[in-house]
Amino acid sequence: MSEIVTTPPTSSTGRTLRTEEMILNMGPQHPATHGVLRLELVVDGEIVVDVIPHIGYLHRCFEKHCEHMTNYQQVIPYTDRMDYVASMTNEFGFVVAAERLLKIQVPERVEYIRVIMAELQRIASHLIAIGTYGIDIGAFTPFLYCFRDREKILDLFEMTCGARLLYNYMWVGGLSHDIPPDFIPKAKEFCAYFKPNIKELNDLLTYNEIFVKRTANVGVLPADVAINYGCSGPMLRGSGVDWDLRRDDPYSIYNKFAWDVCVGKGEMGTVGDCWDRHIVRAREMEQSIRIIEQALEQIPEGNVQAALPKRIRPNPGEVYARIESPRGELGYYIVSDGSATPYRIKARSPAFSNLSVINEISKGAMIADMVAIAGSIDIVLGEVDR
Amino acid sequence: MNSERSTIIRKKDLSLWERMYIPEIVKGMKLTIRQMFAPTFTTQYPDERFQPPASFRGRPVLVEENGVERCVACGLCSRVCPALAIEVQAGETELGKERYPEKFEINMIRCIFCGFCEEVCPEEAIIMSQEYELAFTKPQDALFGKDKLVVPIEKVQTRLNFLRANR
Ligand code: SF4
Ligand code: SF4
Repeated sequence: MSEIVTTPPTSSTGRTLRTEEMILNMGPQHPATHGVLRLELVVDGEIVVDVIPHIGYLHRCFEKHCEHMTNYQQVIPYTDRMDYVASMTNEFGFVVAAERLLKIQVPERVEYIRVIMAELQRIASHLIAIGTYGIDIGAFTPFLYCFRDREKILDLFEMTCGARLLYNYMWVGGLSHDIPPDFIPKAKEFCAYFKPNIKELNDLLTYNEIFVKRTANVGVLPADVAINYGCSGPMLRGSGVDWDLRRDDPYSIYNKFAWDVCVGKGEMGTVGDCWDRHIVRAREMEQSIRIIEQALEQIPEGNVQAALPKRIRPNPGEVYARIESPRGELGYYIVSDGSATPYRIKARSPAFSNLSVINEISKGAMIADMVAIAGSIDIVLGEVDR
Repeated sequence: MNSERSTIIRKKDLSLWERMYIPEIVKGMKLTIRQMFAPTFTTQYPDERFQPPASFRGRPVLVEENGVERCVACGLCSRVCPALAIEVQAGETELGKERYPEKFEINMIRCIFCGFCEEVCPEEAIIMSQEYELAFTKPQDALFGKDKLVVPIEKVQTRLNFLRANR
């Protein structure tokens, strides 16, 4: 571990040389920025002095588009495209908000199917986060195993709703259609198959000495800073804050299942370092499996389209509903003027708030650690920019 | 990183043997070698093709029955399309259905494969097919007119059966 040189460098003739900070652009085409994010690094030699994220390359006017839809249902394919690696949870948030606005109760079976889908999606999303984080650090192999397992989840989604990435499955008041009869045995099979793989993944990556050395004590995010910046999800829990909307602001039927909220404890270094954020994701996958297994056991029979409204015309009013997406608190604020078109929709995306803290946690880090820090935030630029 | 609220614990420097990380690399290689004898989970794409299930939403097509398309040019699909991809122009016909689409065009660059057109159509005339190989070299090629959209009913029978069972 080299010490930071504090004396100014001198030339061969003994004259003091002038040094200055350098600006380095990381991205938008940098493979480790997980999309089109440009980080402007101000560096003093190898030390990062300041980080300025430049976003907006993927801006698609989601909120403005929604105002020009002919009905509420049409917004759902657009929410899919915000966080494109966790589309199910995006839809989930929107339908929960719209249903609260309409004051409709959806059948029990629909709630169960939604929870199963959302938790499968959480696993799929965390698998991408963990796999690509491995690549950032320099471990390519775990990525392939993560994608192998994610593919199994996408197969389940495909047989249910016909798409592998952008599902358009959860509709306001119900689902586009019921799960096929062989879904439940296949999902159980997946749970049994996946449980040993989490352990294998942890052995391969999480507890690997090289990986620990690269991530422990790097990018430490103290709990109060995380709260002040509005971080949520694994970012916040990694800093040791016990906060999960599924438990603390229950929506749908999450209060029916037994599961634990995982928080970072600083096992390998400091609480809130990159390793803690990583382990929270890895442990959350186990908890999701627990939820899915319980839901598959308890799922009742019923009609999933019984509550689908013919015309969606909410009374004038407004609603804010939030859910726990794989990245944190995903909220939708809907204002209705009584017509069939939403008057205004605002999406509160977790990745945007999580990204805002990057400047705070990377000051004083090495350039090589920047990649580890940016990867541990697990941003999806589709959601940051919307 | 070096804020006062957190303390950085640096473990002591590693010895040369530790710095080579040999046990860790061996552990990783063990899995890799085991995997070499496990069945492969990839598909050799152009040679082996993926067979989509009946629920799959490929490109939308117009169903042709007894030599004419079922569509009655009501325009519901173009109204419901969130991506504004469909253009329908109605014309009159001698047949029983009275109206037919004189022009029916889907812009495949715009289409987002949401399936709303299929859901809303009163005649089961527009159906999401199983075709997924859609690549164009020119934007003009992506405007699918009736010549490309109309397919005989036999080709989409699995999807029609799926819809009957699930709607
Ligand atoms: S495809 Fe169906 S919905 Fe569209 S115009 Fe024809 S009949 Fe109407
Ligand atoms: S699938 Fe969706 S986007 Fe494509 S033409 Fe039909 S309604 Fe429009």
